[in-house]
Amino acid sequence: MTSPAKRILPVEELARDERFVRIGIDERFNDPRTAGRTGTAARVGRGFKPESRNAPDRARALMHGIFVGEIQALEGAGRTCWDFEVGTGPDDVPFELKLDMARQCWDESRHCEISVKLGEWMGTEIGEFAESTFLYEAACNPDPVLRLTGVNRALEGLAIDVFNTMKEFGAATGDPVLEFCEDWMLADEVTHVKMGSDWLRRITEKDPDRRAKALEFQKVVDKLFSGGGFRGESEDSPIKLARRFRELAGFTSEEVDEISDISRQARAEAEARMAARA
Amino acid sequence: MADPKKPRPAFAPWDRRELPGAFTVEESARRVGNYKWVEMRLFEALGGWVATVPELDVKMRLGTHCYKHAWHAELWHKRLPELREMNPDRLTLPANDDIVAFMDAMTEPEGPDKTIEKLVGVYRVLIPHKIAAYTYHLNNTSTITDAPTIRSLKFALQDEFDDWRDGEMLIQSLIESEDDVRRAADHQVRLETLMVKAGGVAGPGSLGDPTVPTAQEVSV
Repeated sequence: MTSPAKRILPVEELARDERFVRIGIDERFNDPRTAGRTGTAARVGRGFKPESRNAPDRARALMHGIFVGEIQALEGAGRTCWDFEVGTGPDDVPFELKLDMARQCWDESRHCEISVKLGEWMGTEIGEFAESTFLYEAACNPDPVLRLTGVNRALEGLAIDVFNTMKEFGAATGDPVLEFCEDWMLADEVTHVKMGSDWLRRITEKDPDRRAKALEFQKVVDKLFSGGGFRGESEDSPIKLARRFRELAGFTSEEVDEISDISRQARAEAEARMAARA
Repeated sequence: MADPKKPRPAFAPWDRRELPGAFTVEESARRVGNYKWVEMRLFEALGGWVATVPELDVKMRLGTHCYKHAWHAELWHKRLPELREMNPDRLTLPANDDIVAFMDAMTEPEGPDKTIEKLVGVYRVLIPHKIAAYTYHLNNTSTITDAPTIRSLKFALQDEFDDWRDGEMLIQSLIESEDDVRRAADHQVRLETLMVKAGGVAGPGSLGDPTVPTAQEVSV
């Protein structure tokens, strides 16, 4: 007699070796040392300029964030292969969607390999920075369309912005290995975002309500990951919105404008919080 | 230069391909449908396990292998309509109930302390049986009429051999004590027994006479 492995693996059960240190979303947002800014925004700070004295440490922190993000992206894509049956019901997914998720698993595995090697190259040890698990949490949505939209459009969209920023940082600091690797990962991320855009359109073709719900979920995730204006179009945003690559991945100009607005709003809210605490 | 007008044989002297093969169109399609079912269950399990294994190198390998088996499933999915099955879902079936029992048992280990069991099921039982079934099909089907299946089998086998080696090396690197050896062996025995009952990934005849009746036919 066998008992089947569960569908939807809770975030608490993500398996890690002893080097990893996990912090929850509440802990991160309520950390008094980073009041007003959150997560990587706090570590990276305003602006991400090569001439800054802290730039190497900021780059190391960001690279470690990318590494743990890639692990979770791998886990999320893998769970989408497992969590849903092939079919046409609301809880099912098309066979081809699963194939895309399996392909994404391979891509994310390579990204883990690349980012762990880049981290070593930059002098970082695994576990030197804490891991927050927002990304995987977005990948636990029980509705496959919402999951795909949250992960492949919002989070992989953020990855486009992050990789483009790191690629430019590599170019500006004369690090051809960093620039080269980020450019390759950027190509994969454009593919993943395009997958998300295509599946959203195909699955919700005759279901505008579900599409609206999925896009709403994407906004929530986009706002979460714009925390404190971490990603935006302001001069001092650490991570810049990569408009050209997002458009390649199927975003319209209006959709990119909307993300830019969400980022501005997130920043204003963070500044208001800081002012209230002062 | 040789005279271009001079008649030449249709088959060059070194081309030893032959028309006869052991499988009809229907039999080849049935096996391909069984392969697709197995590849699907396998890539889904590998994908699901990624989040449950704490070992970083294993995690990344499973993510890589997950895609290879999904790609094999896609190859078989695309081959089915070419074998006169216009609705591939109709033949995407387990060979029999025993292979379903095998897959259920193989995918059962879930906890972070079960990496050895997960790897043993895939790399010491299932993949060797897939290699056997694919090789049998490759060596017995018509090299001319079923050439597209042969091409896909060769692609799949290349991956299977690579992944088998990867998986076996991971298992060896994880086994450190007599207890670990026993764990791995016990799990292998349990799964191998189920696989023997199933008759292989394509049922009885997976690597033998394709006219041997299937389990369902025997029970009727």
